[in-house]
Amino acid sequence: MSFLTPFFLLGLAGLAVPVIIHLIQRERKNVVQFPSLMFLQRIPYQSVRRRRVRNWPLLLLRLAALALVVAAFARPFLRRHAGGVAASGGAREVVVLVDRSYSMAYGDRWARATAAARRAIASVGQADRASLVFFDSGAGVALRSAADRGRLEAALLAEKPGYAATRYGPALKLAGSIVSESSLPRREVILVSDFQRSGWQGAEGVRLPDGVALTAVPVGEAETSNVSVTPVSLQRSTFSERDRVTVTGGAVNHGARPISNLEVVLELDGRPVQTEHLNLEPYGAGSVSFTPFSPAASGTRGTVRVAPDALPLDNAFHFVVGPKQPVRVLIVERPASTRDASLYLSRALSLGDDPAFQVSLKSIEGVSQDDLQRAAVVILNDAPVPPLAAERLGAFVARGGGLLVAAGERAAWPAPGAAAAVADVLPAMPGAAVDRSQGAAARLGALEYGNPIFEPFKAARSGDFSSARFYSYRTVVPGTGAQIVARFDDGAPALIERRVGNGRVLMWTSSLDLQWTDLPLKSVYLPFIHRMATTLAAYRDKPAWLTVGEVLEPARPAAMPGATRPAAVRMVLTPAGLRVTLDGEGPDVLELAEQGFYEVRTPGPNAPPVVTVASNLDLSESDLSPMDPRDVVAGATGRAGGAVVAGANITTTDQDQERNQRLWWYLLFAGLIILALETLIGNRLSLAGPVHAKRPSVPTPRATAMPTGPGVKLDPGSHRHD
Amino acid sequence: MRGSESSPGARFIDPAVLARIGNLELVARHVVDGFINGMHRSPYFGASVDFAEHRGYVAGDDIRRVDWRLYARTDRFYIKEYEADTNANFSVILDVSKSMGFGSRGVTKLDYAKMLAACLTYLVHRQRDRVGLIAFDSDIVAHVPPSAKHMDVVLHTLDRLAPSGQGSLRGPLHKMAEHFGRRGLLVLISDLYEEPDAVLEAVSPLRFRGSDIVVFHLLDPAEIDFAFDAPSSFEDLETGEQMPVVPDALADQYRGLVRAHVDGLTERFSGSRIDYTLVNTSSPLDHALFSYLSSRERLARVR
Repeated sequence: MSFLTPFFLLGLAGLAVPVIIHLIQRERKNVVQFPSLMFLQRIPYQSVRRRRVRNWPLLLLRLAALALVVAAFARPFLRRHAGGVAASGGAREVVVLVDRSYSMAYGDRWARATAAARRAIASVGQADRASLVFFDSGAGVALRSAADRGRLEAALLAEKPGYAATRYGPALKLAGSIVSESSLPRREVILVSDFQRSGWQGAEGVRLPDGVALTAVPVGEAETSNVSVTPVSLQRSTFSERDRVTVTGGAVNHGARPISNLEVVLELDGRPVQTEHLNLEPYGAGSVSFTPFSPAASGTRGTVRVAPDALPLDNAFHFVVGPKQPVRVLIVERPASTRDASLYLSRALSLGDDPAFQVSLKSIEGVSQDDLQRAAVVILNDAPVPPLAAERLGAFVARGGGLLVAAGERAAWPAPGAAAAVADVLPAMPGAAVDRSQGAAARLGALEYGNPIFEPFKAARSGDFSSARFYSYRTVVPGTGAQIVARFDDGAPALIERRVGNGRVLMWTSSLDLQWTDLPLKSVYLPFIHRMATTLAAYRDKPAWLTVGEVLEPARPAAMPGATRPAAVRMVLTPAGLRVTLDGEGPDVLELAEQGFYEVRTPGPNAPPVVTVASNLDLSESDLSPMDPRDVVAGATGRAGGAVVAGANITTTDQDQERNQRLWWYLLFAGLIILALETLIGNRLSLAGPVHAKRPSVPTPRATAMPTGPGVKLDPGSHRHD
Repeated sequence: MRGSESSPGARFIDPAVLARIGNLELVARHVVDGFINGMHRSPYFGASVDFAEHRGYVAGDDIRRVDWRLYARTDRFYIKEYEADTNANFSVILDVSKSMGFGSRGVTKLDYAKMLAACLTYLVHRQRDRVGLIAFDSDIVAHVPPSAKHMDVVLHTLDRLAPSGQGSLRGPLHKMAEHFGRRGLLVLISDLYEEPDAVLEAVSPLRFRGSDIVVFHLLDPAEIDFAFDAPSSFEDLETGEQMPVVPDALADQYRGLVRAHVDGLTERFSGSRIDYTLVNTSSPLDHALFSYLSSRERLARVR
């Protein structure tokens, strides 16, 4: 409850007036002259009780009447509390949003959040409907538009903080959709959260429908202290032909107090192997490097851990590191080619380690089945392909291999049908050569930047292909399923892509050496070759860890070079020990919901090895610094100055406002009634005689009566004793 | 007023009625007349011709006091001795401080005291004794030396007296003690608003000369009963000091203190052989006189 004109409450000082009337004024009017105060002064002060209320009921009536009148003039009005009992105005549609991000596991935040949510649920009346939504980076409805408070509370009690970070946008959008579908007249959203600053990136396009009241209930503490582990840095090196990995871990102090001698432990495959110590300044960070180790072939599980604190979830960081897996590239040359026919190509592929390429050169005549088995990518560098080789290459591509055909002057491919086993593999058959050595040389005119090959060059100054000059190229006619990725300035295809089976084929219609172009002399040549090789090999950098909320694609490790076709059924073992089976019929991905190590197993014989994936928390959630909940309220409702906790910024109708302010009328009426009652009682008392005026009266003449004092019985007489 | 002599019931007339009669002498005469008529016997004060004893003649004795009849029988000279002088000094010592001006029923304590003094003076004058008056507050205000001819002067002086000043017993009474040269009968009329020990200490010097002292302690019924009810500010008549008082809360304590004060005075005066009488001004004056003189007579017989 609040007051429209609170200054009128100063009138409560008038309550002193009746008290003064009762206590002071009457005494001062009656001055009794007395012969001597000798005896009165001997009586202790306390027992005198100089100011005594003579008529309590009368005084209380006067005070109550005055207080009520003053309160009525102050115009009290009821501000409808979100957690309060539903007032009149129709049924409510209440959506309770409860933050279940892992920062809610800090201290007793979750207990406070559930208590606040229970209060909100308790306010749901019989005609009301309530929805319970738990949210972190996403939002999920636990119970929708239910009137059963028992079910709501049961759903609330069954929940606990998760592992994801906070984002208010999805939750508010979901709440907005729920209330917008409701037909109830009053709609409210109650947001229970710790209101971390990291969870709110502006309005996020969230806007609750008009008339929806949003109440923020913050449950966070003003002052927090937390230490979180930072993402590790893995530095690879080679020692004695073995990969060695140096782990650099660190910790961040999110509190205002320095931390000294913080233990940082490196665990490998579950065993602590090294402990270091850190000193952290307030809001500072520190890092420490551990001794290098050689990862196991199947991948080593590593964890950097610090001592647990009030928020233990972010005190560990997991990763999986394995030995480097180079991409094997087989460069196939024409027979009797010059020694440096593939010089630029092989040199370009020999550079770089992310990924590293293992290059081997073969003549087209010497390519064996084993060569193709080992290779992930085959580059036909201006080589005529005989039917047998074409058949092998077709099979190679079909099972997932990558083939790059550089169609130079001598490149040739047997026509489909020329041999029964020759598959239709190439995106286009190379045609006649176009001579652009006279006049202006050809240049690359249009690149398909959406293609993974050119995607890194999408940004400005990320590679200038237009500087390369092409003096000749082969005319091609793209076949079915082929996609032109790059064109020359005259519109002729320069690079064509086609998917065949599980593999991919690229045709470059010019040479990859200096015979027809000066592209190998340009700076874009090396990344261009790397991108084509990695794209053909379907190479994806295997991250050392993923973050909760990201999607795990179990098929991915099976697509690694050299692997067989992935099995249809895969089983994922979550960190909590749950088994999730992906049989290919449902969604083929799994969203990471926990912190720890996920294992992907493929049952059956000849199954690929177990793939382990580390899952970590979003460490932005570790920063517990709070924000002003009013920002969220204002952003979501579009009204600045939104109320927090004590009262939501409820939009009310005129009738509601009038109803909420009607209280003054009752107060005034009650005050007048009491005044009338006071008048009645006062009159009766005055008619009954003054309660205090018991003054001695002049005695009437008494002729014979023996005089006796009315009070003290003292017998006047002589006292003489001899 | 003479008509009241024939009516025995008219003897006890309320002091409030007497106060309205301006002629003080008449009032005194009326009251004492009625009193004497009832007693049939004269004087209580100073039996001046009562024979006490014989003693042997010594040189220097007045030969007129020799009992010649006894000489005739015994052939020895004896001197006849009497108990007291035939006429004694009688003085009223009257407190006229402001506190004596208090009266809750129309008659102030000073009015009552004046009537009491006038009655006693009239009574003693009738016995041919010398009468005088001393009025005081913190000092001596009026002084009428004892004389057989001073009856009218005393009454006139009484008529002029008005309450004034703060009261104090010690200073004036000590001064009087030096003044009284011969023993006599002294009547102190006061409200005695001092500690019992202080009162006795102030009165005692009067007794050193052998005077007979009678103390009338005058109190208004309001001072005794404290029949107030409304919380009020009580103002001291003498000092003007005020204090807020809730009578309901302290009436019992007040009465207890007054009772203890009176008891203390009674105890101390009786120990010093001083007659002490508490007079409530609500009681008729003749009744108060009657009670006192009767008890004095009884005690005198014992003596």
